[in-house]
Amino acid sequence: MGRGALIARPLAVVAAVALALGAAPSRAAAQAGDATAGKAVYERRCAGCHGEKGDGKGPAADLLVPKPRDFTMGLYKIRTTANKVPTDQDLFRIITDGMPGTSMPAWAVLTERERWNVLAYIKTFAGEKLKEAPKKVELPKDVPSSEASIKRGKEMFEAIECHKCHGTDGRGDGPSRAELKDEWGNPIAPANLTKRWTFRGGASRTEVATRLANGVLGTPMPAFLDSVEKPEDIWHLTNFIQSLGPDSPHYATLVTVTAVTGAIPDDPNAEFWKKLTPNNIPLMGQVIVDPRNFNPAIDLVAVRAAYNDQAIVFHLTWDDPTQSADEPAKKLFADAIALQFPPQITAGPERPYFLMGDGSDAVYLLRWENGKGVSEASANGPGKIAAIAGGEARGNAVFTNGQYRLVITRPLVSKDATRPTFTPAVFVPVAFQAWDGGAGETGTRMSVTSWYYLRLEEPQSNRRFVIPPVVAILTLAAMLVVVRIAKGRA
Amino acid sequence: MRRALTAVVAVALVAGVVFVAHRPDQAGAQGGGTIEAAVTFAGAPVIEKLKVNKDTEKCGTETAIEKVVVGPNKGLAYAVVSVAGAKGAATAKKATIDQHGCKFVPHVQAMTPGEVEIKNSDDILHNIHTYSTANASINKAQPKFKKVMTEKFEKPEIIKVTCDVHSWMLGWVAVMPHPFFGVTDANGATRIENVPPGKYSVEVWHETLGKQTKEVEVKAGQTAKVAIEMKK
Ligand SMILES: [Cu+2]
Repeated sequence: MGRGALIARPLAVVAAVALALGAAPSRAAAQAGDATAGKAVYERRCAGCHGEKGDGKGPAADLLVPKPRDFTMGLYKIRTTANKVPTDQDLFRIITDGMPGTSMPAWAVLTERERWNVLAYIKTFAGEKLKEAPKKVELPKDVPSSEASIKRGKEMFEAIECHKCHGTDGRGDGPSRAELKDEWGNPIAPANLTKRWTFRGGASRTEVATRLANGVLGTPMPAFLDSVEKPEDIWHLTNFIQSLGPDSPHYATLVTVTAVTGAIPDDPNAEFWKKLTPNNIPLMGQVIVDPRNFNPAIDLVAVRAAYNDQAIVFHLTWDDPTQSADEPAKKLFADAIALQFPPQITAGPERPYFLMGDGSDAVYLLRWENGKGVSEASANGPGKIAAIAGGEARGNAVFTNGQYRLVITRPLVSKDATRPTFTPAVFVPVAFQAWDGGAGETGTRMSVTSWYYLRLEEPQSNRRFVIPPVVAILTLAAMLVVVRIAKGRA
Repeated sequence: MRRALTAVVAVALVAGVVFVAHRPDQAGAQGGGTIEAAVTFAGAPVIEKLKVNKDTEKCGTETAIEKVVVGPNKGLAYAVVSVAGAKGAATAKKATIDQHGCKFVPHVQAMTPGEVEIKNSDDILHNIHTYSTANASINKAQPKFKKVMTEKFEKPEIIKVTCDVHSWMLGWVAVMPHPFFGVTDANGATRIENVPPGKYSVEVWHETLGKQTKEVEVKAGQTAKVAIEMKK
């Protein structure tokens, strides 16, 4: 999930720059591809997932969610047309930019010519089914975003019951969520509208308005163009959806722990926490140790942290469509999250193995589990976790409309060697693990991060610490190593 | 390859039926006969019950997916009975499908090609999602304020209709190329009137039990009874 995309993304940027420089013709200009030449490209690049016959049943298909497109049906999710048939530009854009939140990478590594050729070949799989001429959907006149437009959009969001699938706050946790199936009968998840960067067909206003107007073919998402009160409601809805979250996750590389003189609230909904900037950390599926997790449910945790002379307090926010406790008979497990640190913070660059340590170097885990609360543990690998006696950490969690907010409080100073003492101005390695028990995640079926850094700001400091380039490079390098390992083993 | 084969078989079937039919060229109301069909099924009803987790004030707390509905005397409900190969003008009356109590009413609708009115009398969101090949598939939202939508099914075929909001909602629309059809009631019975005299093959389609045919001769001013037992 997204592993290919992580690698492919910089290439897309390069391609975009090349285009901007005028080196290549506009992507809008459709070209007649050569299907015969496209066949060779297809078999080398696409058949692994989409299958030699284009039926979406390539050797890798079993592991993927969502499933690779079955080209024989001539059904495409993302189209700018009012009828079933997409334009060639619609297909070209998906090949070029990929599909966020899926395994479909951006194929900017292929030349533009190759992309048109492979497109021509892909169309042959559907035969007669794509013979109809595409008919462009006509969007109503654009309404720019404003407070009034967003308000109207929210009213319409409620009136047309978007929440049935997408949830009250848009986190994809609506009551119909578990029943949704695609055209092929595979379960399909409604989009999390607060994470626009995961939208399959792009996050721009026009793209969102187009999805609303003509639906997402082959999925439960219906067309709304004739089903809103007034045509311009499509734009009010778009503006409201754009207001639900940021355009990009702005991932953090360093978690700053704010120095506080007074008490730190343990209520996850306290105003105090809202005032702190979240540090968004991306999570990936654990694919190194069996059983692996190729389709992680949790892809991001927002971390806030503060400390005073007594305690260090972590505030974690993450989306999970269902609140679940341990019910192994139903293949449901407790939702959980963990922060991981080295047992002792040293100045050197050595850190334990990022995946819960190993035989020679243990890690310290600060773990919360739905129904059990916070516990402390020492681990020498994913299967070797031992609770630390005399735990001193406590936690407080709330779950609202598909989102957990959790506060974990721990003394700043440790009394034994199994858990770290936190000291201001020191770079502390930290990693995260998360489990969506409702999606069957438990044990090594989890989401993970590599090591990040956390730093307690100096007590007198009232300005943000600027991240040293060395730390940024180290973090990025660690991430790339994990990605490479993940790709290698996958 | 397979499609070509299917087409050949279909053509052969139609030709066969036309050959069997020997029906007069002027098909009309005058001088027609009536077919009374009784469709039965000896097996047990298949009804899947499930709990409802939303819109319970409209949908109830429990609902059922009715895959095989068997009435008194083994009568099979919701079977489409039609006169294969017949020809005739489309009926003037517009077909309707209502979404009521989070069910499609009727569960099976038969119509001649043309417009269909889709109603939402539930005051909640449904989405009309059709699965078809000859006609364009539809997936349109029908929010509570959209009481009626008009759609067109122009080509004969049997279309599955679902709602993604309420996954148990299931309906069928049989678009017939002529007006000589009926859908069985709770007793498994239906009448097809004004059928031009001739020898025909009567075709029965059921969503779960598939298709069966039976020969029948229609005489002017008379009622021809045909009993068909559907098998698993
Ligand atoms: Cu419905």
